[in-house]
Amino acid sequence: MTAAISILALLAGAYLVAVLEGWVSMGRMSITGPLASGAAMLGRESFVPKRRDRVFFEVAPPLLLVSALLAAAVLPLSPGLIVADLATGALFVNAALAYVMVALLMAGWAPNGAYAMVGGFRFLGQLVAYSMLIVMPITAVAMRAESLVTTEVVESQAALPNAIYQPIGFVLFLLAGMAVCFLPPFDLPTAPGELAGGVEAEYTGWRLAVFRLARLVLVVTVAAAVSVFYLGGWLGPVFPPWAWSAAKTLAVAALMLLAGRHVPRLRETHVLEWGWKVGIPLALLNIFVVGVMILVVG
Amino acid sequence: MTEAARNSRSPGRLRHRLRRLVSDAMERDTLRAFVVPGPDVARALGLDLEAAGMEISATPRHASMLVLVGETPESLRRSAAVAYSQIPRPRIAISVGAKNPSPFPEPDFSIPLEQKALERATAEARKRLAGKVLNPHKEEKHAGEERAEDSDGGHASREEPDEGDAIHEDLEDEKARAGKDSDEGHTSHKEPKEHAGKSEEHAEKAETESSDGGRANHKDPEKHVEHESMNHAEMGHDHMDHGDMGFMSMVAMTEGTPRSSDGLQMEWVAAPFGPLFPGLPGGLALTLTLDGDTVAESVVSSAVGMPRFEGMSGSAETFAGWLASLDPFSPVAYRALALRAFEDAAGIAPDERTTLARIGAMERERAASHLGWLAGFGYLTGHARLAERAGKLQLALLRAGGSGESDRLRASGASEISRLKIEVDKLVENLRRNPLLTRRLKGVGEIPGDAEASGSVARARGASADARADDEGYRSLGFEAVVRGGGDALSRMRVRLAEVSHSLDLILAAGSISVPSDSFDYGLSGKGSATVETPRGKASLRLSLRGRGVSGLELHTPSTRHIELVESVAKERELADALVGVASLDISPWEVLH
Amino acid sequence: MSASEIFQPFFVGIFGLAAIWFGVVVFRTSSMVRSALALLFSMTAIGAMFLAMEAEFLGVLQIMMMATEMAIMAIFMVMYMMDPGGMEGMDMTHQKYASIFAGILATLGILAVVFLVEWGPVAEAAHPEEQTRMLGIEIMERSMLIFETAGVTILTAMIAATAIAIERRKS
Repeated sequence: MTAAISILALLAGAYLVAVLEGWVSMGRMSITGPLASGAAMLGRESFVPKRRDRVFFEVAPPLLLVSALLAAAVLPLSPGLIVADLATGALFVNAALAYVMVALLMAGWAPNGAYAMVGGFRFLGQLVAYSMLIVMPITAVAMRAESLVTTEVVESQAALPNAIYQPIGFVLFLLAGMAVCFLPPFDLPTAPGELAGGVEAEYTGWRLAVFRLARLVLVVTVAAAVSVFYLGGWLGPVFPPWAWSAAKTLAVAALMLLAGRHVPRLRETHVLEWGWKVGIPLALLNIFVVGVMILVVG
Repeated sequence: MTEAARNSRSPGRLRHRLRRLVSDAMERDTLRAFVVPGPDVARALGLDLEAAGMEISATPRHASMLVLVGETPESLRRSAAVAYSQIPRPRIAISVGAKNPSPFPEPDFSIPLEQKALERATAEARKRLAGKVLNPHKEEKHAGEERAEDSDGGHASREEPDEGDAIHEDLEDEKARAGKDSDEGHTSHKEPKEHAGKSEEHAEKAETESSDGGRANHKDPEKHVEHESMNHAEMGHDHMDHGDMGFMSMVAMTEGTPRSSDGLQMEWVAAPFGPLFPGLPGGLALTLTLDGDTVAESVVSSAVGMPRFEGMSGSAETFAGWLASLDPFSPVAYRALALRAFEDAAGIAPDERTTLARIGAMERERAASHLGWLAGFGYLTGHARLAERAGKLQLALLRAGGSGESDRLRASGASEISRLKIEVDKLVENLRRNPLLTRRLKGVGEIPGDAEASGSVARARGASADARADDEGYRSLGFEAVVRGGGDALSRMRVRLAEVSHSLDLILAAGSISVPSDSFDYGLSGKGSATVETPRGKASLRLSLRGRGVSGLELHTPSTRHIELVESVAKERELADALVGVASLDISPWEVLH
Repeated sequence: MSASEIFQPFFVGIFGLAAIWFGVVVFRTSSMVRSALALLFSMTAIGAMFLAMEAEFLGVLQIMMMATEMAIMAIFMVMYMMDPGGMEGMDMTHQKYASIFAGILATLGILAVVFLVEWGPVAEAAHPEEQTRMLGIEIMERSMLIFETAGVTILTAMIAATAIAIERRKS
């Protein structure tokens, strides 16, 4: 029952993100747009490159979806509404998101095409840049909550959300989250202008529909993670808990979609350079500052 | 699962209902269009595809419609046919303002080159797409498409029907397995015969790859085979059987492959980026050999270039119009060039009003061309907002100030130009304050100091090379060449941004925009030459005029020079940087002389 | 017998078999990327085994670390070999007789250990949260020196490797 509600909520979120994405990119808000797009995509033929790695090619889009779903499973929508309340929930989010990279690597390598392969390639480089910026901010969050359980992380923010308590971690995690979802300016693996779709380029029809759905679910999941770790999840006055969770998640998703429009795509070398030379020292500083604050303020 | 597969198992009514549903969805769905030769050409011709309700697709695989814009040479139409075969069915093709689309498959319908017609076409295209869902059997293979697929070998077979067609699937499977088996017989790899087969197969692979992004394979296939087989002949043995080696060694395995600048040896892959690549000017056929994600080699040519002028002759009356029609990015400049050469040959000078009106028209074209470049550049670099703004401004500018009929800028036209100038300045200011853009472009696309360049490429690195500086008319309007000191993409962008603004000032100062007309006395004769600063640099023309005929033609265009720079800009650069470098040269493949 | 008593061995067994199967796949493929990813899924299956055995932290850590590690391995393969789609068809086995001998020997050894050891009653696993806490305390108290030493050693090795790479490039 909980799982069913969570998946429905996730799909509803993915749909709303699709509406938002359409609005952001086309300038027109269309409530039924994604529905039509999805149905039309299912109606199109789905052909595959002749020479390809069959298994990887077919597995990659579902794997992307599964990794996003698994990460979402440990994120609470409201106090009782969580699929798996793991003792290591916060760590599990990161473990599941690591398979996003595996999926993209497979999607890039399998079709035997240069664009796709470079796309898959690039995402691995991107992972090297962002993965520490997922783990380290989560560490600081777990320090404050004194737990890796996601529901306890939310409850630890009753007095003050982590976004204010540890703003450095918040910004780093948000940026790393955008990199996980390969949203602009971190859309190196798909890069429409440079790689003509990159890892997505060889997928058509229903396979493409699965890929796109997986990406939307991923965006919702990461936005939900930001909301749980930094914005106090379901906490908030007047409205019911689920409404707060939904509102915060969607707001974060909208922010993630909008931010990339005003800057050019980053260079691979810059993503790595800034991730390691700026991001990681800042993340360490964040852990240190949070540690001091916990000791001094409590 | 495709609809067809699902339906074959269900009763007729359900099938019909599902078809209805999908057909309705198709009619409502955003039209994703793959544009040939490219969205940049469409914009330069004054078409606003987004306003007509289309979304530009980066690859034909994600599109449902192919839009063929304007007159294109046959080779490009052949590429277009390949791209069309990569659009998943149901699909639709329309031609906008093209007289003869062959060998491109018969378009579903043709429309004239007008924004209004385009807007009507969108609705029509949706209806036809929906119709094709309802009557799938009516959609047959186009004759032209088949021809194109035949000539391109792998393409037809790349499109295998999905699970809906189990027989094909199995056949394909068998073939794949057979290929694999022969590969897995490791001992046989030692035999040279096997190697020959291997390298051929590899070349074939590279060729199929070429079709991947929907770009026709414009690389010389023979050269390719040679390249690949060379690799394999050398590396073959160590590469394949490491049974004797004890442990898999990367050094041994990559022995004999070309060595990159960092000393690591890796396998190289050739990938086409054009002539229909979305991030580069439509018609520019660029093939990059990738060493990892670094460009090891580049081969560039134009799929749409100008013909050889030497030895050509023709009617003088139609010459200016013909020359102007060759380059969709700067027709006005080429028309002006032809007329100036005529005037020089005849020894007459145009009156001041005509001069000023021409300047107005040429400066409008320059500003629009630079904005168009900026829009394409924004798309390439993933700067969505920039692509959108610059594209809109370009289209607005092309429409501003009226057409050639009215000589003086009407008050509304002048105020429109002033309004656009404010918007342009705002955009320029935004870009200047964008540190990420600066970091992205700085040091990218550096050209060697002794390289021959003209136009904004030359002015960006400090040379005040501008044909306008010698022009009396321009000097009277207070023209000043924009010069920056740097040979990279950033300074080229800055020069162009400043020039857009300056060009708009010049239009306002000239007070009129009039595309040069052909009202000229062609009875005169003599030899003449002229030089004009096109949006891309200095173009010069020599001709002799005799008895209403023109002969002794000699043309120099800036892009012919700049296309030579591509290699130095791309070499040993990361792929994205190489593409940014190439795009920053603002090459118009249409004016490249073969 | 409660449900968990049936399901636990069942899942441990399933994931164990999956791990072995993926392990076999590593050598049965014709491309290094496929091998690397098969190895990854083998490791992931072991992580899932840990989860089934109620060693939650260990399981999650295994699943997380292996994804990154194997992918890094795969990327080196791709960098050197390209070979997208795995069309080259290379053999993943070598030293066949030696490895068959080693394999049989190791299997016999493991079977001997399995059957000869008196395992005794199954110990009750602590609650996952308690496990995580205990692990943390272990790392920060008794084993701190060991972990710190290991950490610094790895860091030194990383820096040394980078330094060597830079030197070579200059020459």
